[in-house]
Amino acid sequence: MEQHLLSDQSRKFIDDLRLYLFSSGKNDHEINEIAEELEMHLIEAEMHGKSIEKIVGSSPKEYMINISNEMKTDYRQWAKYVPLIVISAMSFLILEDLLQGTLSYSILEIMGTVLFSLMFMGGVFIAFRYVASNQVSRLKEFLIMLLPIMISMIFFVVLIVVDSIYKTPVIDFNWFGSIVIGLIALSFVVLFSIWAKTAVMLVILIALHLPAFILSFTSFGEVPQLIIGMVITYILIGLYLFWELKKLKGKK
Amino acid sequence: MSQTQMLKGILDGCLLAIIQGKECYGYEMAERLSEYGFDAVSEGTIYPLLMRMQREGLVTSVRKDSTAGPKRKYYSLTEKGNQELKDFLTRWNQLEKSVNSIIKQETEGKGVENGTTSTIRSE
Repeated sequence: MEQHLLSDQSRKFIDDLRLYLFSSGKNDHEINEIAEELEMHLIEAEMHGKSIEKIVGSSPKEYMINISNEMKTDYRQWAKYVPLIVISAMSFLILEDLLQGTLSYSILEIMGTVLFSLMFMGGVFIAFRYVASNQVSRLKEFLIMLLPIMISMIFFVVLIVVDSIYKTPVIDFNWFGSIVIGLIALSFVVLFSIWAKTAVMLVILIALHLPAFILSFTSFGEVPQLIIGMVITYILIGLYLFWELKKLKGKK
Repeated sequence: MSQTQMLKGILDGCLLAIIQGKECYGYEMAERLSEYGFDAVSEGTIYPLLMRMQREGLVTSVRKDSTAGPKRKYYSLTEKGNQELKDFLTRWNQLEKSVNSIIKQETEGKGVENGTTSTIRSE
C-alpha cells in the first residue's frame, strides 16, 4: 500500500474545512465524507506535484463557503449538541458553587446563566468560523478566540451586579439536593470531556479548587493560603497548556 | 471574463458527460477536464457541483477500495442524471449554434484581432 503524507498546508486546509463546516452547523457524517474525499484528492494531486492552489483556487475561504452552501444545516444534530454544551457549561459553574457550600440560586441567576452559556457558545463558534476560513497569524487567532470569552465574562459580571440589586425569588437546596445536583453536574462535565475529547474543563476545575481545598487543612494563614493556592492554580493550568501544545506539535 | 465564470452552469453538463462515459472518482474527473483544456478551473470546483448533483439525484456514489490504497468515491449517473444530460445537450447545441452565428455574422471581416476568430468554426 502506497503511503503519502499530506503537506502541512494541505493538512491545515482539511482541518480548517472541518472546523468551518462544524461551526456552521453541518452534519458530522457529511463533513467526514467531503473532508475525506478532498483529502484523497489532495494526496493524489501532491503525488503528481500539484500545488494546493490548483485544487482549492486562490481563496480557500471562498472555496469553503462554496462547499458549505451545498450542505444542509443539520438542526437535529444541533438540538443534541446545544443542550449538551449549555448544560456542561452550567455544570461547571454549579460544581464551583458547590465547593463553597449548599446551592442557592435566584431566578435571575438561573436565566442569566442559560443566556450566558448560549452567548458564550455562539461567540466561540463565530470565532471558530472566522479563524478557520481566514488566514490569520497564531497571535491574531488567539486574540480572536479571546474576544467571545471576554464579552461573555463581562456579561457574567453584569449579571452578578444586577442580581445583587434586583431581588428575584431564590431557590435554596439542602445538602442532599446540592449533592445530587453536584453529581449530575459532574457526570455532564465528564460526558462532555469524553465527547469533546478534551480534559480542559476537568483540569481547570481541579486547578481552581483542589489547591485551596487541600491548603485549607494546613496551618498556613489565610493570606499565604490564598497566594500559594493561586500560584499552584496557574502552574497547573500552565503545565496543562504546555502539555497540550507539545502534543499538538508532536502530531505535526 | 475568466474561463471559470463563463463555465458556470456548463461544467455541470460536462461532468455528467464524463460520468456517463465511465464511472469515475473526483480526481479522475478533474484530470479529464484538464485534458480537455479546462486547466484554468481549480480542481476542487467539481466537489460542490458533485454534492449538488448527488442531492438532486442526478448521480449516485459508492466507495471502493483502490489499487493505491485509500478508499475512493466513485460516481455514476442515475436515470434522472441521464435525462438531465440529454436536456443539457439539447440546450447546449441550441446555445452553441446561436453564439456561433452571432460571432460569425457580427465580427466576420471586421478585423477582430485578439485571436478569438481562429477558434470559431465555420459551418
